[in-house]
Amino acid sequence: MRPPATRPRPPGIAAWLVSLFGSADQAESILGDLEEEVSDMATKSAAVSARRWYWRQSLRTIAHLAGTGVRNAPWPLAGIVLVGFLLQWFSAGLPGRVIVAILRTQRPYSNLHYGFYISFLDYGIPITGAIQSILLGCLVAAFARQREMIATTALSFLGTASIGLLFLDTSGHGSRFAYSWPFVIIELMNQLAIVLGGVIVREIRLALRNRLSRT
Amino acid sequence: MSNRDYLGEFEHIVLLAVLRLDDQAYGVTVRREIEVRTKREVSIGAIYATLDRLEAKGYVQSRAGDPTPERGGRSKRFFRVTAEGVSAINRTHRAIRSLAAGLDLLGSRL
Repeated sequence: MRPPATRPRPPGIAAWLVSLFGSADQAESILGDLEEEVSDMATKSAAVSARRWYWRQSLRTIAHLAGTGVRNAPWPLAGIVLVGFLLQWFSAGLPGRVIVAILRTQRPYSNLHYGFYISFLDYGIPITGAIQSILLGCLVAAFARQREMIATTALSFLGTASIGLLFLDTSGHGSRFAYSWPFVIIELMNQLAIVLGGVIVREIRLALRNRLSRT
Repeated sequence: MSNRDYLGEFEHIVLLAVLRLDDQAYGVTVRREIEVRTKREVSIGAIYATLDRLEAKGYVQSRAGDPTPERGGRSKRFFRVTAEGVSAINRTHRAIRSLAAGLDLLGSRL
């Protein structure tokens, strides 16, 4: 007698990404449909191709959900992203100023722990910048109800594009303000941190919704 | 909804698929019906995006089914075409028939 076939597990990351981009109701039915199809497919073909199909369907579904989200409310979304971009632009030097202000209060050059202060300067600015970007992502996501990921991803793309343009603009002229590669990498990490802020707000909202629906 | 509102190509296909499936129309069956009949691979996301738009227009209605184990305990969302949806299909068919009338579509012009 053959043992009963175990139900294939759909790729968790793909399912999670779909749940981030759709509304809770959409995600429920879409993920259910994908799981039903992949279970059926796994009985007819290799598990690897079923997983590959799941990933392809998930990515195309995310593209459609994002497109629908933009089409349904293009102007509020554009407004939120623009405000987020302006906030990001005008607060760009804030982490550096905060870290320098902290160091000044400690009088580093008269202190024996000089190395500590240099490390604080080197690592403090990027870490503060990342925290600032996460908070910005949270703020933008908080205003983009149900479209947290679309708004923060769009803001992140806009920021990445502006960094790319600045890098190209300054690197060719031998300017003393030319962006260095480490600086560009840190800035790109900050763009990812904005998306992380969106994920945090989205997950908190989903958790609150689940808790409310249980009570 | 305006009575001069015609269906887009994919909206038309999805509405006809839902109509064919009667009370068994949900994401999986609609996607398969379209793939089998049009030989066109479509994503679940495209189906839901279109069905949500059609629901907003009043052309389909949806209801939640019971959760099932093969769906990981998630429920199905069943769709059915409304009277407005049937009118929209007829209106679009009439417009296409009117535009195609008198054209020799299988003749040398193609």
